[in-house]
Amino acid sequence: MLKEKLEKFFKIDRRWIFLLLAIVLFAPIMKPIGLPNKTISRDAQNAYTFMDNIPAGSFVLFSLDYDPSTRPELHPQAMAMVRHAFKRDLRVGVVTFIAGSTGLISQIFAKVPGEYNKVNGTDYVIFPYQANYAAVMTQMGSDLYGIYDKDQDGRDARTLPVMKGVKNYKDMALVVDITGTSILDQWVAFVGDKFNVPVVGGVTAISQPGYGPYLQTKQLKGLLGGMKGAAEYESLIKEPGKGTSGIDSLNLAHLLVLILIMTSNIILLIIRYL
Amino acid sequence: MELFANLWAWFSGLFVITPAWMTLGAWVAVGLTIFIFSFLYKDNPFFKIAEHLYLGAGMGWWFQVYLYSIFIPKVWDPLMAHQWGVIIPAVLGISLVTQFIPRISWMSRYGFTFMMGYGAGLAVPAGLSTDFIAQIGGTIEPLSRMASMTPFAIFNSLLVAFGVICVLFYFFFSVEHKGAVKKVSSIGIYFLMIYFGAAFGNTVMARFSLLYGRFDELYTYSGSNYFYATQVILISMVLYFVVHALANKGKKGTSEEAA
Repeated sequence: MLKEKLEKFFKIDRRWIFLLLAIVLFAPIMKPIGLPNKTISRDAQNAYTFMDNIPAGSFVLFSLDYDPSTRPELHPQAMAMVRHAFKRDLRVGVVTFIAGSTGLISQIFAKVPGEYNKVNGTDYVIFPYQANYAAVMTQMGSDLYGIYDKDQDGRDARTLPVMKGVKNYKDMALVVDITGTSILDQWVAFVGDKFNVPVVGGVTAISQPGYGPYLQTKQLKGLLGGMKGAAEYESLIKEPGKGTSGIDSLNLAHLLVLILIMTSNIILLIIRYL
Repeated sequence: MELFANLWAWFSGLFVITPAWMTLGAWVAVGLTIFIFSFLYKDNPFFKIAEHLYLGAGMGWWFQVYLYSIFIPKVWDPLMAHQWGVIIPAVLGISLVTQFIPRISWMSRYGFTFMMGYGAGLAVPAGLSTDFIAQIGGTIEPLSRMASMTPFAIFNSLLVAFGVICVLFYFFFSVEHKGAVKKVSSIGIYFLMIYFGAAFGNTVMARFSLLYGRFDELYTYSGSNYFYATQVILISMVLYFVVHALANKGKKGTSEEAA
């Protein structure tokens, strides 16, 4: 009798689980609980420390290669890292190899520079989208103006104050690639290893475990993984954003999954040995 | 001429981003999100609309990207500036399209040959250096400086080296997997399973993050400044399903449910 009742648990309409998950994810957005994000991963800490130790005025190249499909994970990472660069008075250059990224880059630079009184052309520059990243990365090793002779607004890149003394990778203190694709691998292979430029990455949580080997060999100086990585970086720069606010929902959703897995397994064991 | 200029100015003015456009954008975003999510309950015409719209809009988007971000700046503008050198890569690129015309499809080989040669020349040395030599070095190098390492770091380095060897044995098929080789390759499977477990856990987190992102937008657009877009569309969808269920009561369902 009990066995039959318990077996009904496995025939539950999965749409109830979808509904439960939706409630668990949505409720903290309406009423934040404020669950703490106490753990900072070693890789996020390394990324922060590397950026924090770059001398003010140095040029940092951001390659923001993500589109709306990975926005919730990667946009907060990009916001946090750009904020940190401006906070440290670093010069920022932005490139992208993903066409869908251009609108998201505009969103970031419509908001963040104003918070730190940074001026387009003087403190930062946004270059237009380019296809074929391998050719662009290789060309930038000798002369980046061979590819990016104009910025996004059509101004001559050579004459911009932000580009003073910057010709190729030798003049850059760091390359940051935030991407939902494998472009980070190419930054490591074609640029980091070949031109001896430090590379820091920001990737989706799915891709994160695959970058362990690059981190172990220091081919990557640091890495942010998913929304958790964004939350960690926001904690480090003390600027809570979308990454931090998402932690409530993520924690509760994971708790739900754990409860469901444990409950199913316990019921399965009871059924088997009853 | 003046009339045309005025008409063009009026038409262009329609696309200036105003609060009204933003509100309309919010309604479209909310509508499409809820239409797509509605498939989790049951297949329906609204899901189909969103699905087809996505495909059509995607095609349109890519067409304008290729036209305005690639063809015009990389081919058209240089040609207009009499830089005839771009003709060579342009012709090689166009040769790829001949694949669709069987009689002259042989021409595409030239384009593909160039791409293969160029790609291999770039990727092979970089891949060997970054993913092969550097990774072997990264596995062996810590073992050479054990005297200066902490006990935990020594254990970690040995574990990594051991794991690499075991996994390599698992993928080495030229020796029959029996006896000691079988035991080593079986340990390799455990290392792989740990990796897959970590990857799967991260995948779950990533999917939740994406769902959170959509819900966050739905909440944003539920405000009075967007005329309660989320609530109105959500309630409308629920009403549709209720009416649809009542109208089809007793009939055998043919619609697809969430798998």
